[in-house]
Amino acid sequence: MFFEQLSGNLVQGLILGSVYGMATMGLSLIFGVLQVVNVGHGAFIMVGAFTALILFQSLGVPPILAIPVALLIGMCLGMIFYYGAVKPLVSPSGAGIRKVGRRQLGKAAGVFVAVMIAMRILSGVLDLNIAFSIFIAIILMYAFLVYVYGGRRQEKGPELATLLVTFSLGVILEEVVKQIFTSEARGYNWDLGKLDLGFTVLPFTKILASGGSLTVAVLLYLWFNKTRAGMAMRSVVEDSVGARVCGVNVDWQYALSFSLGIGLTVTSGVLLTMFIPVGINPYMGGGYTLKAFVIAVLGGLASPYGAFFGGVVFGLLENGSYTLLAALPGGEPFALTRFFSFVMLLVILLIRPTGLLRRKG
Amino acid sequence: MLKVENLQSGYGPMQVLWGPDIQVKPGTVTSLLGPNGAGKSTLLWTILGAVRPWEGKIFFEGEDVTFEPTHKKADRGLVMVPEGKHLFKEMTVYENLLMGAYRKGAQEEREANLELVYSLFPILSERRTQRAGFLSGGQQQMVTIGRALMARPRLLMMDEPSQGLAPKIVMEIFETVEKLKEEIGLTILLVEQNASASLEAADYVYVMHEGVIMAEGTPEEIEASHEIKEAYLGI
Ligand SMILES: Nc1ncnc2c1ncn2[C@@H]1O[C@H](COP(=O)(O)OP(=O)(O)OP(=O)(O)O)[C@@H](O)[C@H]1O
Ligand SMILES: [Mg+2]
Repeated sequence: MFFEQLSGNLVQGLILGSVYGMATMGLSLIFGVLQVVNVGHGAFIMVGAFTALILFQSLGVPPILAIPVALLIGMCLGMIFYYGAVKPLVSPSGAGIRKVGRRQLGKAAGVFVAVMIAMRILSGVLDLNIAFSIFIAIILMYAFLVYVYGGRRQEKGPELATLLVTFSLGVILEEVVKQIFTSEARGYNWDLGKLDLGFTVLPFTKILASGGSLTVAVLLYLWFNKTRAGMAMRSVVEDSVGARVCGVNVDWQYALSFSLGIGLTVTSGVLLTMFIPVGINPYMGGGYTLKAFVIAVLGGLASPYGAFFGGVVFGLLENGSYTLLAALPGGEPFALTRFFSFVMLLVILLIRPTGLLRRKG
Repeated sequence: MLKVENLQSGYGPMQVLWGPDIQVKPGTVTSLLGPNGAGKSTLLWTILGAVRPWEGKIFFEGEDVTFEPTHKKADRGLVMVPEGKHLFKEMTVYENLLMGAYRKGAQEEREANLELVYSLFPILSERRTQRAGFLSGGQQQMVTIGRALMARPRLLMMDEPSQGLAPKIVMEIFETVEKLKEEIGLTILLVEQNASASLEAADYVYVMHEGVIMAEGTPEEIEASHEIKEAYLGI
């Protein structure tokens, strides 16, 4: 009985893990190329989830067909956010060394203040609530910190500024989606039947989600390794100075990889809802951001395939541990698996800070 | 071929180049010497467009390219071997060389250039499927030079290609420089700390100090001046 449950959970973990892996590839890609940790990661997953939901509910589009739409939406969002907010902070100068000028920082801050004022004006019309004010406060804080802190200490400024920016972008997305769809949790019901393995039952939608994730991962791998454009992006990850002297337009690769990273993340939101088609709400991303950080660290942070592998490992561990934790008397297994993610992150950071896959030396 | 007039640039608020004028004639090896921190690398990066010029002009083959971005200059055949190699360590030797031929113009001549590189450095042909990160320092430098040659350069700028290498390998690198000039008529702008070897290899020499050209002339003229040698070259 116990082993039946365990193997059932492990199979579930394996296929969920591949979706987790896919949901982390965008984060790793953006970190690999720009050295920016996208703190707003989960919000982009949420956008994907809503894309699947809306397309399915109002147009009857099966979620699997929502994937190209989500990729496109994500890439557009990525481009807009890159040029609007991220570029001034990471734009490389000189021999690949990033510098932020006061003027550029001022510009970035200016954009955010403009957004804030626009939101303020909107808020008069839409009657917004407390969360929204908090959001405005965050933006103000961002503009202030970036300008003062980033301008004075050029070396340390960029990291802090990019964290604040990506965080703010996530909050903006959450609040905008909330204004449109409210914070109520939604779900959809796409039924393709089930596969009975004896020890566990797998709905075909879950299998499809896993297959879709694997396909995306394989395509990305082929693109990176077999095409000229993919090689160019990989070269920027490995050595942006080297890429520059080879005539790669590094600034454009930055934009492209940010856009592709966000595109992949939004796409993963579609795949995740195929696995878990309930609980879709503007704030659903937070938990995924945390999991994605754990997975990315597992896989070595800068490598998209490492991330995929990390996702599979994480899915197996999470679901496997669920069975074990459920066997403990008196425990609340669901809450404990959350706690488990944190512990795992700490343990990995202590033992293998470069990730599980990374070669030594 | 290359003409730089009164070039000024730097990083953030710090000015590094204070208006050097240099000129590189086709088919020659021009050497740029100077102590640490003189701004030699900065000059090359500014010529390449990776550091933005503040003042002055850069002409390449008669055209004003002062504000052209690096990848456009690569299309013109302005190619650099950067200081500190900057290889793609996780890629194979072959993939590194392919990246050298990234620009469209270089793609067409890829096979011919690959043969040239393999004939210059036969060891790279043997090691083509190995990851570049696992090669010895000298072999890595060969990959960097090979990668630059794959770009079909018209002007090759080399930033301290002999840095950190064993004396025997240093000799080989300088021999390669001469071979490239003699056999394929390549124009080279060579930045070096190894003053005596580059005086031997060069047709014309510039001596730079604190962002300014302090002296220029044929290697014989520089060789003849004890003041210059003592003050700036330490020989
Ligand atoms: N990316 C950078 N950001 C800020 N300052 C820099 C940067 N690169 C170089 N510098 C500074 O610019 C000055 C000139 O450096 P540069 O590297 O051009 O000298 P160099 O002549 O190439 O020296 P070396 O022989 O050591 O390579 C130095 O004071 C250096 O500290
Ligand atoms: Mg230098």
